[in-house]
Parts: sequence; C-alpha cells; structure tokens
Amino acid sequence: MSKIIAVHSYKGGTGKTLLSVNLAAILAKRGKKVCLFDLDFRAPSLFAVLKVDNAECWLNDYLNGTCEINKVLIDLSSRVKGNGKFFTALANPATEAIRDMSAKDRKWEMRALGRLLSLRNTLLNEKEFDYLIFDTSPGLQYSSINAIVTADYVVVATTGDRSDVDGTRRMLRELYNLFEKKTGLVLNKVLDPASKSKTGEVTSKVKTVYQVPLLGMVPCFCEILRAEGNLIFVEDKPDHPFTKIIDEMAKKIDSNEIN
Amino acid sequence: MNNYQCFVRLNKPSTFSSTVHVKNTRGKPVTREEILSKKPLYILEKIKENLEKLNEKMEVMIELQKHGRKEFQPLPDASLDVMTLLSMPDHLRKTAMTICRCGRATAEDVSQQTTRARAVESAYLNQLVIMGYLKKERKGRKAYFYADRESQG
Repeated sequence: MSKIIAVHSYKGGTGKTLLSVNLAAILAKRGKKVCLFDLDFRAPSLFAVLKVDNAECWLNDYLNGTCEINKVLIDLSSRVKGNGKFFTALANPATEAIRDMSAKDRKWEMRALGRLLSLRNTLLNEKEFDYLIFDTSPGLQYSSINAIVTADYVVVATTGDRSDVDGTRRMLRELYNLFEKKTGLVLNKVLDPASKSKTGEVTSKVKTVYQVPLLGMVPCFCEILRAEGNLIFVEDKPDHPFTKIIDEMAKKIDSNEIN
Repeated sequence: MNNYQCFVRLNKPSTFSSTVHVKNTRGKPVTREEILSKKPLYILEKIKENLEKLNEKMEVMIELQKHGRKEFQPLPDASLDVMTLLSMPDHLRKTAMTICRCGRATAEDVSQQTTRARAVESAYLNQLVIMGYLKKERKGRKAYFYADRESQG
C-alpha cells in the first residue's frame, strides 16, 4: 500500500501545491493521520497557504540534522472536520535559508535522502501516520528526486501545455521508470471537460501519450483562481466539483486502486 | 589469513583423514582424532564460511571480467546520492536502491526484496563496495552492507 506520496511535475505552476494541500486535507477528513511536507526549498509556499508563521523548527533543520522531526511537525487538525489528524512540516521561507539550501553539495543531499528515508520508520511505524505527502519542487532538483526515491507513489501534475507534455513524458521515461516508481497522472487545468465523450477521449489520449494510469482530471475552475490560495478548498467548499474530484483521487489511493 | 585453511580432494570421499587437511591458526595440521573428538561441527562451519567467502570473491572477479574493469574503478570520494543512482547501470541501481531503503542488509535480505538470486545480489553488493558506494561489515558469519551517509562530508 502506498503510504508516502510525492506530488511532482516537470514545470512550475501545474498545481502541485493545490493538489498536495487538498489531497492531504481530504485524507484527514476521511479519518486518516496525515502529514504534509513542503519539500520545495527554493520556493516555499505551504507556510503561506496554511497561514503558519510560528514554526519551532523547519524541515531544513531536520535535514541539516540539527533537530528531530517531532519539533518540525505542526498539528493543524483543528482546521479539518472529522476524526482525522492533519500535520504539516514546513520549509523555511527566509531568503537566507533558501540561499543556504541552494548551495548544498552531493554529500549533504545523500544525508538528506537518508533522513527522508528514515521518516518511514519514525512517522509511519512509530507515530502511526497513515500518509506522508511530499509537495516537491518542479523538475530535476535534488530535493524533488530525493522525495521521489523515498515515495511509494508519485502523483505527476501536468497541463496541456506543449512543453509540459514533452517534459513530463521525458521525466516518466527517464526518472520515475528508472526508479521503478508507481506513478499516477493528474491532468490539471483541463478546458471544457464537461461531456462524457470528451472525458473518455482525454483519458485514452493520456494513456497513449504518457503510458501511465490517469489518477484524475481537474477542470480549470475560476473559483480556485478567485480564492487566491486563501482556502483549503476541500474544507471550505465541500460541495464544489473540485472537492469531489480530489475525494475520488483520495479514494483510489486509500483503497489501493492505483496500479 | 582465516583461522583454518582447507584443502579438499574429492577423489577419495570415503577416507576422511586422507581427503581433508585442516590447518589451525598456528599452521599445524589438525589430527583425525582432534577433528572427530573435539569440534567437528565447528570445523565444518568454518569450511562452509571460507567457501562462501571464496564464492563471493569469485563472483566479483566474474563480474569484473564481464563488464570490464573500467566500469568498476573505485572512486576516492564516492557518495550514493540520487544523481549517482540515476547514472548507475540498471542492475546495480536496483541493488543500491534496496540498500538505501533498508539501511543495512545482507545479500539474502536484498535478494528477498529484488527477487533475484542471493549470489547475484552478493556480486552486485560487492561491486558497489569496490566502487566505494557501500561499506561492508562482517558480524559472525553474516556480511552486512550499508551506505555510510553520516561519516562522509
């Protein structure tokens, strides 16, 4: 069963953070104990989306080996309805921290991989988390490949943009396949997907082009743009079609229908 | 040199004392009486252990010949990071990834995960040790392999 999920993409702006936050929130709503990690150290964003600015320690500190993971975790369970637990681990948004993370060498990245891998034991086995969700930086960054190697399942966010399609295809072939990762594609910002024939057409096209299963298809919703990243959408708009789509994805992941 | 050096002649299996010559650590031959009366099981275990070590070395030599020595030149400062994993040949990447996940494992443990033969994994693990990506540590009869992340840098 997939316990560690990395949300990744070839290009920026494909909706990774939106997917990660809402997927984590909906899994928590379904009664799961979830932790959402901001692994985009070059452009941290979860602190702003989740409106947290009082972290005792950052994920940067954990990867540097200067603090334990317990001190990084922030309990946001009060933000989600239901019996689930929702935690987050944030990347430090300070400019100096971003500069510091950009200058790390291969040896540091190797140790960081070891620390990410050890989360399986400390959080999944000992603290009994059900899911760890990694929001990664786009493309072939060390931090995102570390996240992919650690993950059981990779959600690849993509759009219909020509350069994104080509890059995603290359990444599927030359990155996820080499690491033998189970992968699911989320086609985001789809225009006019209303009719069933259109949905079927897109699904078969995705399978032909990318040769991986389609986890979900998200239409371009103006309400999401209007929210300007101020909402945990699935929490604040439970009846919105976007919430239903994310719930469907969570159901597939939770019932292990993602092979 | 190991505790015992064994020389096995297979042409006379019926006469034990004349077919197996075991030398102890001081180089003196162990007599038939000693073998039968003292620690025959222990000696057999040592023979098995030495044969396993020999087998591992032969597997590495076979792989070195198969792939050419250049591919396995030890790197002075090798680190098993994700970019290194990406640039590895497929057969070694699978083994290295398994060690990354397990942290510390024997060839047997790795073979259970990869569903490849133990001897194959043993050869690949030893190649990774030669290349400087893994460390090997013996504990009793078991050889453990691991990526030494903390001591580097």
